[in-house]
Amino acid sequence: MKSLLRVPSFSALLFVIIAAGDVAVAQRSSGGIRVAQRVTVYMTIVASYRAPQGPPADPAYGLFVSADAGLTWQHRGWREYIRTFYSEAGNDGTIWSACGNGVLRSTDNGIHWKVTTGWEVTEVLKVKAAPSLPSLVFASTAYGVFRSTDRGETWEKKTAGMRRPFSGDVCIDRTDPRRVLAATEEGVYLSENGGETWRQTGAAGKGVRVVVQDPFNASQFWFGTEEDGVYRSTDSGKKWAQRSPGSLHSAVYTIAIHPRRKDCLYLGTYGDGIFVTTDGGRHWEARSNGLSNMHIHALVVLPSAPDVLLAGTLNHGLFRSTDSGGTWQSCFQDSSQVWGLSVRTEGSSH
Amino acid sequence: MRVSLFCLLVALPGIALSADDSAFVARQRRLLEVLSKEPVSLPAIAGRLAVDSNRAAAIAAFDSMGRDRSLSNPFHGYALMAVYLHFRSLFPDSIHRLVREVFRSRGLYRGDTENHWVMYYTGMYLAAQTWPNEPGTEWFNGKSSEENFREAEGWLGHWITLTSTIGQGEFDSPTYMPVFLAPMCVLYDFAIDTAMKTRARMMCDLVLADFAVEDLEGNYGGGHSRDYPADIINPLIAQTTRVAWLYFDQPGRMIWDDPQFRPRVRASWEIVFPALSSYRAPEIVVRMATDRSVPYVQRKRKRVRNVIRFGDELNPPVYKYTYMTADYVLGSLQGGILQPFQQHTWDVTFVSDKPYNTIFTVHPSYSKRELGMFFPEELNVLAQDVDRAKIVYTSPDKWNSSSPYEQTFQYRNAIIVLYNIAPGAQHPQIDGFFPGNLDDRTVDSTGRIFCRSGNTAVSFFPLRPYTWIREGDNWRIRSPYLKNGAVVEVAAVHAAAEYTEFIRQMRTHRIDTTGFSRVPTVTYTTLAGDIMKFEYDGARTLNGGDVDITKTPLYDGPMMTGDPGTGVIELHYGVRARVLDFRQGRIIER
Repeated sequence: MKSLLRVPSFSALLFVIIAAGDVAVAQRSSGGIRVAQRVTVYMTIVASYRAPQGPPADPAYGLFVSADAGLTWQHRGWREYIRTFYSEAGNDGTIWSACGNGVLRSTDNGIHWKVTTGWEVTEVLKVKAAPSLPSLVFASTAYGVFRSTDRGETWEKKTAGMRRPFSGDVCIDRTDPRRVLAATEEGVYLSENGGETWRQTGAAGKGVRVVVQDPFNASQFWFGTEEDGVYRSTDSGKKWAQRSPGSLHSAVYTIAIHPRRKDCLYLGTYGDGIFVTTDGGRHWEARSNGLSNMHIHALVVLPSAPDVLLAGTLNHGLFRSTDSGGTWQSCFQDSSQVWGLSVRTEGSSH
Repeated sequence: MRVSLFCLLVALPGIALSADDSAFVARQRRLLEVLSKEPVSLPAIAGRLAVDSNRAAAIAAFDSMGRDRSLSNPFHGYALMAVYLHFRSLFPDSIHRLVREVFRSRGLYRGDTENHWVMYYTGMYLAAQTWPNEPGTEWFNGKSSEENFREAEGWLGHWITLTSTIGQGEFDSPTYMPVFLAPMCVLYDFAIDTAMKTRARMMCDLVLADFAVEDLEGNYGGGHSRDYPADIINPLIAQTTRVAWLYFDQPGRMIWDDPQFRPRVRASWEIVFPALSSYRAPEIVVRMATDRSVPYVQRKRKRVRNVIRFGDELNPPVYKYTYMTADYVLGSLQGGILQPFQQHTWDVTFVSDKPYNTIFTVHPSYSKRELGMFFPEELNVLAQDVDRAKIVYTSPDKWNSSSPYEQTFQYRNAIIVLYNIAPGAQHPQIDGFFPGNLDDRTVDSTGRIFCRSGNTAVSFFPLRPYTWIREGDNWRIRSPYLKNGAVVEVAAVHAAAEYTEFIRQMRTHRIDTTGFSRVPTVTYTTLAGDIMKFEYDGARTLNGGDVDITKTPLYDGPMMTGDPGTGVIELHYGVRARVLDFRQGRIIER
């Protein structure tokens, strides 16, 4: 498999951020050519408790896309309810959706979709394409982890070594797509052979809900648990240590790492709102002012405008902050369960 | 001009009249007439088209429903296809184009229950069969006709194999049984592939036979995987009562026209597809449902809904035990969490011309762990999500529940139900349902309850103190003790003197509960002299010998047998047998 080190040469690019109102636009310079880039945010709403206003023109659930940093949203894809849990775009522009109906794929920016999986794959909670190898895709499902090596044309169940395979998230190492971490109902599992075999490396017996890789340090990973806070690994997922927010061992559903400030990350919890640390998890501070719902299921920091954060709640829709989480305003679908948020910049996804 | 119904039925695809089944066809016709007057729905439209009740308006209504993009759940896709196939010859070109367009551009949801998937894949199978050789661009899910057909065929085959080897997951549900029978009828009517057509027919036989052996005059007695509170306390309002009426002429009238038995959901008329179908219940199944001349025990093995969390086995077994008589049915599951939130573990249900003809107990349990076993959403919000959809999940007053603290031991007409509720569990109580319209309800000084309704007498011995709560027309008993239970014995009585004698005899029977305060334990001697001993989480013994419920066959009873894993199920009546051989995909009559 190809290493990311030889693929997108992001490190050679100079990013210049231009804030045009609230529309985040990045320009990059490479070899003297400047290319304007738009940041795209993908939001998935799995359920809504308001009556849809005249379906299907105004669907209340599914995939929504914003090109203006979360100010306005357009529905994309199937307008009917299919239990869409999560969507994100791979580095090749392919949009993947994790749904009750399976794994959906669109290669034309969400105009046409194909369900790439058969009846064997259902209750898909996350789908992730390898940053360095977009044809390699992993799906976390209620029945275990599935892998495709051909951009979703075929899928194989990959759970060897897992005792109980329920998986809510997967993270593919951006430096080596053979290294994959899976969040399961009984801890975090590490595979170093592309999912062929797994071994448990952290949070034995505890439900793990989310696992992410640190953008500054490729050997550093974080995961959030069902009821025991957050953990960190500094050796590529082999050993883990708890870095919970003070005495709050909450359910951590989502972790967002600041794209430019080292050791700064945000947690979205069940019941306790949002926390931030600026020292790699030694100290945490609540950042929930303005949230009418403290059950945070999705959280992103916009790479192009890192003071802008979006938080998806369970039942109160989407909130937006423009001051690094200092204050929050409800901004979309105030009666919905926002399950997923992801960002695509320059063809990469965060 | 109005075409006569008789002529229309003869002309309808899939409905053939014969001298043998004229009574059945008359009931089909009557059902369709009733349906034709129901508020607009796909089944009602089918009814109107079948009886030629303003065909133009029915076609217009079908057109309107076909255009409604909000109708995309599993109930709609297959029903749209079924109505279309039944009445294709009546539809103008615009309808042909419309139905094709639905499968081209509407995102049809596959659902998340067994019945959803049966309906979804039946619809997809028939749609892909109807429009073959088309590329993925012509289908909502981007798959070609061939891909959709193979996927649907694959899952339906998988489901049939599972059901015929380790049992159904949403088993024996008074609410949901018709939504397994109906798609199988549609598949039988329209599958071109003879192997699939035969398997669909076999599944119709199996689903119907499953009901038949536990059917008492239209009541689906005993334990159920899923049911709603209103149906649990008033069994004859269940959807399966319509099935009983159509196929078995039970309870002898269209009882749902009576306000006392009005169904909870009037619009749920899946029975329309059996009423339109050329499928006929085999005579042997009709006999299984209607002959109660000799009491019998029917044991069954089923499977738990897919356990996706907190378990090591995807489909643990469910053990059912049902005792059938001409007057009552006493039936039970072994207890524990076997299905999420709609489980009905046990009851005694008796023949009656009055509603609320059942008695049972329940621990109204709920927990995020229970829901997490079966649903992938977040544990912390699942309960409120279910409450939004099913209304009663967290209620202390609910009548349906799967409790991890409930276990049963039944032998023929007697059952011991034990509860060992953990401290701190939600709703630490057990509740019992008693009809308010019993012919007699006597409570003696020990708290023992004797009841009579018609020809059925019930002795209900609560193992801990309780209080009576009047609830509308009926009674609830509530007992707040964590270690708890009841011993129930049922008998047929055909005269007041027999009931008096029943009470007298029951009063002489001692129930030994030594050690109950440590671990719920009961030793009980039945009127027939059988000694049942049951310890919570321990052994079940009968007359000193261990009863190993894990040895329960797939089916074991005088009219239905089958071993797990074989895929061969035999239906018996007298010297006749019908063998459903799912391995070979064939039916053998003996």
